[in-house]
Amino acid sequence: MFTNVTLSLLEGFLGTLKLFSLTLLFSLPLGLVISFGSMSKNRIIKFPIRFIIWVIRGTPLMLQLLIMFYGPGIFLGINLWGSGDKGRFTAALVAFVINYACYFSEIFRGGIQSIPRGQYEAAAVLGLNKRQTFFKIVLLQVIKKIVPPISNEVITLVKDTSLARVIAFYEIIWEGERFIKSAGIIWPLFYTGVFYLIFSGLLTLLFGYIEKKLDYFR
Amino acid sequence: MKILEIHNIKKKFDDVEILKGISFSMEKGQTLSILGSSGSGKTTLLRCLNFLEIPDEGTITVNGDVLFFANTVDLRDENVRKNRRHFGMVFQQFNLFPQYTALENVVLAPKLEAKSKGEIVEIEEKGRELLRKMGLEDRMNNYPHQLSGGQQQRVAIARALALQPDILCFDEPTSALDPELTGEVLKVIKELANQHTTMIIVTHEIGFAKEVSDEIIFMDGGVIAEQGTPEQVIDNPSNERTKQFLANYLK
Repeated sequence: MFTNVTLSLLEGFLGTLKLFSLTLLFSLPLGLVISFGSMSKNRIIKFPIRFIIWVIRGTPLMLQLLIMFYGPGIFLGINLWGSGDKGRFTAALVAFVINYACYFSEIFRGGIQSIPRGQYEAAAVLGLNKRQTFFKIVLLQVIKKIVPPISNEVITLVKDTSLARVIAFYEIIWEGERFIKSAGIIWPLFYTGVFYLIFSGLLTLLFGYIEKKLDYFR
Repeated sequence: MKILEIHNIKKKFDDVEILKGISFSMEKGQTLSILGSSGSGKTTLLRCLNFLEIPDEGTITVNGDVLFFANTVDLRDENVRKNRRHFGMVFQQFNLFPQYTALENVVLAPKLEAKSKGEIVEIEEKGRELLRKMGLEDRMNNYPHQLSGGQQQRVAIARALALQPDILCFDEPTSALDPELTGEVLKVIKELANQHTTMIIVTHEIGFAKEVSDEIIFMDGGVIAEQGTPEQVIDNPSNERTKQFLANYLK
C-alpha cells in the first residue's frame, strides 16, 4: 500500500515539478524585462508596468488563476486555453509566470538600484559602454545581492503550485486527495508534505551553494 | 602647446550655479592642485573634465583639439567615450570593482579593447608592472575587500594609469583614508609627479599640495579666486578668501 501510494504521489509530483520548472524558466527572464520597464525613464512604459505589478502583487494568486482560466470564456466568449488537461495546464502556467515575473522584477529592480553610482562612474571613466558596464561590472554584483530573496520566492513557488488545484490542474495534492474517495484513507494527502519538504530542502542546499560560490567578494 | 585649456566652464544644478565661468590651462608634465572649501565647485569641475557632468557653457581643449563645446554633446554619444579617454580619474571612494582582483581591476578596460592574444599577454604584464610600481607586488590577486583603503586607492591609481590618459585627475584621493594610510597614497602620487605625469589633484592636504604642485588654484564660490605657484598662493596669498581659508587650516 505504502509503495503504491508513494508511486502515485510521485506521479502527481511530476505535475507539480512541471509547473514549477516551466514557471521559473519563463518568469525569470520576463521579470528582468519587466524590471527594466519599471525603471524606464519613459513614462508611457514605466507607469503601465508599475500598474500591472501593483495589480498582480495586490491580488491573490488563486484569484488570478480563476480569472485567467475562466475569464476569456466568460468575458470574451472565446476558448483561449483549449480543452482538457492541456488547457488547464497552459492557463495555470501563464498565470504563474505573470505572477512570479512581477515579484522577480521587483527583486531585480531592488538589486540593480542598490549598485552604488560610483561603480557606474568608474566604468564610464574607463571608457566602458552601457552593455559592457552591465555585463562586466553590474550583473554579478546584482546576482550576489538577489540570490537570497530569489531563493525565498523559488521555495514559495514550490508550495504555490498547489494553488493550481483550484482550476483542477493535476498535481500532487490532487493525487493525495484522490485516496480519500477511492480508498477511504487520508494519510496519503498528509504524506504529500514530505515531498514538498524534500524538494524545498534540495533547493535550500542549492541556493546555499550558490551563495557560498559568490562569497569571494563583498 | 598647452595640454589642456579650459575656457569659461559654467555649470548649474537646479538653478544653483556651481561653476561660474572657470578658465585655466596647463602644460604637459605639470601637476596642478585645486584647493577650496566644500561646495566651492572643485569636484564638479573635475567631473566636468571627465564628462561625468556636462557643463552648460564653455570649452575643453586637449592638445589643441576641442573636445567639448557647450551643448553640442550627448552623453550617450560614442564620442564622449573617446573623449573621456584623455582623462583618468581616481575617486575619493576608490570605486574598485569588488568581484575582480587588484590585477583584474587594472587590466579590465584595456583588455576589452585588445585585439589579439599577444596583446592581452602584454596588457597583463603591464598591469603587473604598474601594481609593482604602486608597491602592491604581493597583493595583485587579492580582492578589494581584502585590501586596506590605502592599498585600494593605489590599485585605483594603477587602474587609471593603465589606459595611459593624457591627464590624470584625483578627486580628494585621501579623504576617505585614515591618517595612517594617507601617507602611502601621497607617496605614490608624489612619485608620479617626479616622473612628470600630467595631473590635476583636488585635495584638502595643503602641505602635500605645496610640496608636489607646479601650480595651485584656489576656488571659492564657483570661481577661481587665486592662481599661481605654491609660493604665491599658499605662502603669500593676496586674495582675502584664500587667506581666511589657509588661516583656518593652519589653526
